[in-house]
Amino acid sequence: MSQSIELTINNQAVGPIEVGDGVMMIEFLHEYLNLTGTKFGCGAGVCHACTVIVDDNLGVSEVVRTCINGVERFNGKHIRTVEGHAKQNAQGEITALSPVQQAFLEHFSFQCGWCTSGFVNESTALLERLERKPIAKDQVEHVIEEALSEHVCRCTGYVKYYAAMKDLILKTEGLTLS
Amino acid sequence: MKPSYLSYLARFNKARHQLSQDLLLTLGLSLLAFSCSAANDAGEGAIERGAYLMKIGDCVACHTSVGGRELTGGLPFETPFGAVYSTNITPDKDTGIGQYSYDDFFDAMHHGVGINGNLYPAMPYTSYSLLTNEDTKAIYAYLMSTKPIKQANLDNDVSFPFNVRFGLKAWNLVAHDAEVFAPKQDKSESWNRGNYLVNALGHCAECHTPRDSLFAMEQDKHFQGAVIEGLEASDITPAELNRQNWTHDDLKSLFTEGYSRKGTVFGGMYPVVYHSFSHLTDTDMFAVSSYLLDTDEKIEAKALTFNGHQRELPGYKLYMGYCAGCHGQKGEGRPNVAPAMAGNATLGKASPHNIVAVMLKGIKSQHYNTTTSFYAMPAYADKLSDEQLRDLANYLRVTWSTQPGDLDMNTINDLKEVIFEHG
Repeated sequence: MSQSIELTINNQAVGPIEVGDGVMMIEFLHEYLNLTGTKFGCGAGVCHACTVIVDDNLGVSEVVRTCINGVERFNGKHIRTVEGHAKQNAQGEITALSPVQQAFLEHFSFQCGWCTSGFVNESTALLERLERKPIAKDQVEHVIEEALSEHVCRCTGYVKYYAAMKDLILKTEGLTLS
Repeated sequence: MKPSYLSYLARFNKARHQLSQDLLLTLGLSLLAFSCSAANDAGEGAIERGAYLMKIGDCVACHTSVGGRELTGGLPFETPFGAVYSTNITPDKDTGIGQYSYDDFFDAMHHGVGINGNLYPAMPYTSYSLLTNEDTKAIYAYLMSTKPIKQANLDNDVSFPFNVRFGLKAWNLVAHDAEVFAPKQDKSESWNRGNYLVNALGHCAECHTPRDSLFAMEQDKHFQGAVIEGLEASDITPAELNRQNWTHDDLKSLFTEGYSRKGTVFGGMYPVVYHSFSHLTDTDMFAVSSYLLDTDEKIEAKALTFNGHQRELPGYKLYMGYCAGCHGQKGEGRPNVAPAMAGNATLGKASPHNIVAVMLKGIKSQHYNTTTSFYAMPAYADKLSDEQLRDLANYLRVTWSTQPGDLDMNTINDLKEVIFEHG
């Protein structure tokens, strides 16, 4: 049994494409589209490495785990994966990383990089949330912990991810209330 | 030195040694007798037996706050009248039950009367009153043998007029009938033991029996199920359990490991299994299932219901998109992740209450031991529309149960109101 799937990934229209029933979204990204930046971790929705961003038409985003959600959940939606964050030129070459990616690099936030795509997506969604609704400076650590605490990292022990986000949020204008 | 003197000295030394030994032994025995007086009163091995009975009575789950020390109380209970906090039941003399004599303790357990006045019936004395005197003594002996911990009790936050404890005397007169447990002659020994474990110690009826306008258990609806804090404590009458093809092994598996061929426990039943029923001995476990299923006979496990997928139904794509990743494409479930849909007792119930409640609120992760745990189920309250909830609930029912897929928007709206009543 298969079905026709049509969606937008990183601002590019994908499909209609025939996909088997009950194919998990991560498998669709890897096997049908060759987008392998999203990593398969626990396969049970616990480590959050496979998190992507789903945007609705009203400008509201949610983060969704792709290892436990079937492609049916994403049909017709706008998706952002880790491949879509950096700025690219017309030749497809990367000209600048996103602020979150740059902050993670500068803080040596990751080692093996398996969890990084999930952290980048969750942190990007957090940053965009703060753009819409800034918070008090003394709430920054709490908000970061709330957003990232379910992401599992087995190498660097989280601190450098959290520190990178704290620096980035505090130095970016408009995310905190003065 | 004369030999006679030597022998006298030897005899004297021997006598002195014997005397001191006797003295020590006597002193020691008296000390032992003093410290074990309560235990001896309840018979040999009372402390050990009391520890087991206390586990099956699930005292720890209620008398321990989140992150708090065992038995020191402080766990809030949201009642329709306000918050009631469990109390310190360690033998500390100032803040615990250290000043309780056995008679005081008996009164608290059987009649809901503590040394400072009436207890709120959040303490299930309405069930514990069925405990035998011997078992009450054993529990008392055990509690008095635990380490006294000084921790002051929290003030209850109960509104007027329910904060006037005198009113509880009147409530007890109307709603509490302190019966003596009487075995039924026409039932097996195992059934009777199960009845005692389930109704007296396990106090299962407190949640699984509906309550009337006075909040007293409706005895003619014993075990027929009731909504507690937004979830439905299931109908656990023998008729319903047998209709759903629960076997002795299914109940054993559910109560010892939290999951079974018929699904998992969730909500308030998780701490019950974790702290209490998972400690049942094999004999007592069989007694419990004998009573609940109303038979000692083996029950054959029938094939689990899976009626096949119907792709044309709107719930099909929702199931594949939101649920199949953990519960399996054919509803087979995944070990240590999520229970199977096939045979699931929550889907097999006539009431869709828990299906909708679980989809809306999710289930917290559960840990039983080093090899058995379950991941959290996400809450979909802000992810699924009411129409999607209806379509999905109907799909689950027609695919994995014999219940009809006839839930409409009114049912979903009514259920949401009850489910979110307490937040």
